[in-house]
Amino acid sequence: MVAKTTLAPAPVKTRSLTREYRTTSRGLLAPSRMIPALDDVTFEIRPGEIFGLLGPNGAGKTSLVKILATLLLPTSGEVELFGLDVRHQARAIRSRVGLVLGGERGLYGRLTAVENLRFFGALQGIVGRESKRRIDEVLDVVGLSEAADRRVEEYSRGMKQRLHIARGVLHSPELLLLDEPTVGLDPNSAREMRELVRRLNQGGVTTLITTHYMFEAEELCARIAILNHGRVIALDTVAGLRELVGGGVTIEVECSSLTPAQQAHLRTASGTAKIITENIGQRTRLSFPAASSVSTSLLRESLGTSSDVQVIERRTTMEDVYLQLVAE
Amino acid sequence: MGRPSRLGAVMASFRCAALYFVADPFWIVGALVAPTAFALVTYQILVIAGKPDGALVIVGALVMSMWAQALYGSGWATYQDRTLATLEPILGSPVGYVWVVSGRVLWNVVSGVLGAVIVYAILAFTQGVGLSSTQFEALVAIFPILVVSLAATGLLISAGFVFTRYATFYQNMGEVALYVVTGTMFSVALLPVWLLPFSLIFPPTWAVDALRYAVVAGYVGLSWGFVGDIFGAAVLTAVYLSAASWLFTKVEVHVVSRGDITAA
Repeated sequence: MVAKTTLAPAPVKTRSLTREYRTTSRGLLAPSRMIPALDDVTFEIRPGEIFGLLGPNGAGKTSLVKILATLLLPTSGEVELFGLDVRHQARAIRSRVGLVLGGERGLYGRLTAVENLRFFGALQGIVGRESKRRIDEVLDVVGLSEAADRRVEEYSRGMKQRLHIARGVLHSPELLLLDEPTVGLDPNSAREMRELVRRLNQGGVTTLITTHYMFEAEELCARIAILNHGRVIALDTVAGLRELVGGGVTIEVECSSLTPAQQAHLRTASGTAKIITENIGQRTRLSFPAASSVSTSLLRESLGTSSDVQVIERRTTMEDVYLQLVAE
Repeated sequence: MGRPSRLGAVMASFRCAALYFVADPFWIVGALVAPTAFALVTYQILVIAGKPDGALVIVGALVMSMWAQALYGSGWATYQDRTLATLEPILGSPVGYVWVVSGRVLWNVVSGVLGAVIVYAILAFTQGVGLSSTQFEALVAIFPILVVSLAATGLLISAGFVFTRYATFYQNMGEVALYVVTGTMFSVALLPVWLLPFSLIFPPTWAVDALRYAVVAGYVGLSWGFVGDIFGAAVLTAVYLSAASWLFTKVEVHVVSRGDITAA
């Protein structure tokens, strides 16, 4: 006798997803053309995980989030949420997904938080006593109970962002899509927001988060995909991505200036990797992934023993990974 | 969680629009200026002509004000949703956008009563003119038909606001023409014959004519009279509602295909 096991479909599954936009025509001399926003994107989000999406502006992050929220149709490829097709089963998907777009817009400023939530809740079928109960609950979760009856236009950016999240989770979605939820927030509000995301995830909500902040992705996400020019160029755990770049080790050289000979040594040591340059006052910091062929002590020797040049080895950060993979 | 319902969406949207009106009533003022001014000027012309008719003017103000709200309020609400980026969470909900717009259109049409109340109050205080109880009862009886016929037209028009960002431009171009061809200011029976077919494709034309038959003593409107007007308004309203429902499904698909939900 073989026991039958049925696996729940993945919260998100895409295969060869592409999305193109048609540019606006500017007369006969400049006819409209198609611009790719997403190109052959294939990935899966596992139940209960926080999945990060990193990439520069225009990489296709928001397009991807909107496709998953059924607000944008894919040009080709397959996209399934909980086994449901985004093209043909959008309505069924919308009850199971919460969308939180970053920024100050997306709410009725002249209405209070409660009035906003009552309206958006009703569109999800939350009415009457249940509406009041859920609104009280989510406002408590996001820490806005005290400001529940204040007009949203009087809210700070951080408060608006928390209200966005309250709306996103009002109908208890199984998947939460967060598009840059901490953008423009002060460090304290951003930290509170991350804590909130973590708490919601602990409550069982699968989460996709897009962000420009590496430490945020590092802190929150079980796995991260890096998008560039609409393509997934890397997808792994934080540890896996670090390993991908220099085996998890980065060499950092800090100096006032480098002689041509020293520069040549650095180029040899960095191999094919990019040397990331950062100016810190009068000094320059250069970093690149450690190549197995060049040890730090050897590099120190080749750069000379001048006290002006400091060479250290450190753990690769997500920022190192991102800059190596994405920086032009 | 409960199941999303269309009626729930209509009611929530109606309530939301009403709350917004109370929270920010200023935007409606612009839409009330024209009907009020037209009505009062019309009354003065009738006085000069020696035929002052308060009922005719109050009905005109009522219809024009409701029309203005149906046109501006409904389209504006969608335009505002684009600007505020609230269209995304609305379209991202499981109910069709048509139901959300329906609630708004209904509120806007009903809020247009304010125009008639203002004119009524001005005429009552300055001229001692008003409606008799019989006229008032007739107005109340026809009122739901007028509301639904205007709402159906407003609904169809507001589909254009989801379809394109330039709908306001087209609306501004057609606004006064719509007032004329639907007989808000005077009976469509006075229009040139060649214009009548354009006039009769709008449900409010029929409902307004019926309203005048019911309220204004000695009114001579469309030749088929009150019953024909009611029948025509009902049939056309049903056609418009069906068309709006179909069109909203199409425009929703259109905007998610093009990806231009939010205003730039």
